[in-house]
Amino acid sequence: MKHTEQIYLTPMPVRIWHWLNALGIVTLCVTALQIRFPDYVNIFGTYKAAIRLHNTAGVVVSVSYALWLIYYMFVTRTLVKLYIPTLDDIKYGLFRQAFFYFFFYFFGRPNPHHSTPDSKFNPMQKAAYLVIMLVLLPLVIVSGYFLMYIAPLREVFVLIGGIKTLVSAHYLIACCFCAFLFVHIYLATLGHTPFAHFIPMWSGWEEEEVEDGIHEQAPGADTAAPAHSAGRHSA
Amino acid sequence: MKMEVCNVILCLAVLMAPAGAASAAGTDNSGCLTCHGNREIVKKGGERLYLEAGKFASTTHALIGCTSCHDSVTAAHPRDGSRPSKARCKECHAPIQAEYAASLHGSKAICNDCHNPHEVKPAIAVSGEYLNSKCAKCHDKSKTIKSHAKWLTQADLHLEALPCITCHTGSKNYVINMTIENKKPGDPYGEFKTADYGELSALQPKNGDINRLIDKNGDGIISLAELREFNYEARGKGMRLWGMMTPEVLTHTYQINEKCWDCSYCHASGPKAMQTSYVEFPDRNGGVTRVAVEKGAILDILYGTPDFYMLGTTRSTALNIIGALIIAGGMMMPIGHGTLRFLTRKNRKEHES
Repeated sequence: MKHTEQIYLTPMPVRIWHWLNALGIVTLCVTALQIRFPDYVNIFGTYKAAIRLHNTAGVVVSVSYALWLIYYMFVTRTLVKLYIPTLDDIKYGLFRQAFFYFFFYFFGRPNPHHSTPDSKFNPMQKAAYLVIMLVLLPLVIVSGYFLMYIAPLREVFVLIGGIKTLVSAHYLIACCFCAFLFVHIYLATLGHTPFAHFIPMWSGWEEEEVEDGIHEQAPGADTAAPAHSAGRHSA
Repeated sequence: MKMEVCNVILCLAVLMAPAGAASAAGTDNSGCLTCHGNREIVKKGGERLYLEAGKFASTTHALIGCTSCHDSVTAAHPRDGSRPSKARCKECHAPIQAEYAASLHGSKAICNDCHNPHEVKPAIAVSGEYLNSKCAKCHDKSKTIKSHAKWLTQADLHLEALPCITCHTGSKNYVINMTIENKKPGDPYGEFKTADYGELSALQPKNGDINRLIDKNGDGIISLAELREFNYEARGKGMRLWGMMTPEVLTHTYQINEKCWDCSYCHASGPKAMQTSYVEFPDRNGGVTRVAVEKGAILDILYGTPDFYMLGTTRSTALNIIGALIIAGGMMMPIGHGTLRFLTRKNRKEHES
């Protein structure tokens, strides 16, 4: 038999960051389309409007990223625990999770990873988010700021091989983010219901299907919803 | 328009050269330059009497001779005490003068304020930086940046990369001109400045021809491979290639090209318009010589013009394809996995039941 548990998985600051970030990145992708292909795409009326919106969205994403980093590094201090894959994750977890997504899932086998506030992400998520949040996002933010201030930073561009190297890196990383959006949104539908992973990103609470006898948590933890604990049985 | 003007000048030069030579029987250019090409004359009559013989020799005015413009000069000059007359520019350049007189600048500055008739260069031998230096004589650079920043994104960058007359012009098209810039000796951390003829000659190009610094095989066209080789070498020598968009045709109307208010006029002109580019090499006389670059070099990702990029316009097709493949890879997940998910939905229902 199975029962469902409610787990408080996503604290409010993280949810605010996530949706701000999502709005920013989608805006960046759409405006970038007009900026790169102005002779084919005109969504925002003028080229200048697209550039100003792109710059604004870039600043919003960079500020929200800074807040995210400060929150995880200094407020909850769980950045390493949540985002850095363990040795076990690298040796076994990644393959176990990949096998689930690309093989066992099609045979109806259960997801080997169960989210808890202390282990929100499966090993594949950890690896992907690590690269995205700690490598690609900082790179795209820094290159974006450089491109906003080309004239005063011209000397720096020469050191890194010219403005085209920077633009190419910014563009290719942005393409990676665009690709990630498709994968991210699709994988979010692979919960026990298609919206099972979307709801917690809005409400903070995730409903998990758990075999009886597993994950029994203390009843009564359904009240205050602290950031890193608590689950509540709903069935 | 530019070609027409050049043709008119050349025709005039050819037609007037014999007349000039005839009338200048005793006072040909060399005679005048004996005194006026010597710095000693500055002590006697001031800077205005001196002209650089080398620069003058490269002008079309040298072809028609000194006495064509200074026609009242006598064989007894300067002992006769008279001041030789000066021709007015419009006597030969009437269409340009009429165009200029009707412009906003017509009442503000005369031809000589921008053009020294003894150093005047044909349009093809003028760099964007040289053009802007003329505007900067009246228009303060920082004030110009400030006034443009009210509507123009990254105004400082635009004013660095464009001659003023790219937008304040009657020209409808433009080309990309590249110049070699370097760090000045003794100032390795200073700004890049346009390299002059002496500095490039000191690099000992083949046959003493500075064009060969980039055009290695001397075939008169710079290939992508040659650009790549130069860019590789340039980094180690404190040099770089700097690109500038210049109007295809030089006009004297100076009206604001109304299309420039719309950023996409330049930024959406597409790769086809960005195929044409040149490298400008300084010559001995302060002018420049343009060498054509292989079509498409400025669209090359890294090797063509590493420090010249125009949003939207110089996009590289190769990068577009790589980017599209990355995005398509991301889309394969929902499409491929989603299809298998749909086909195997029964397996999951059975497992749940």
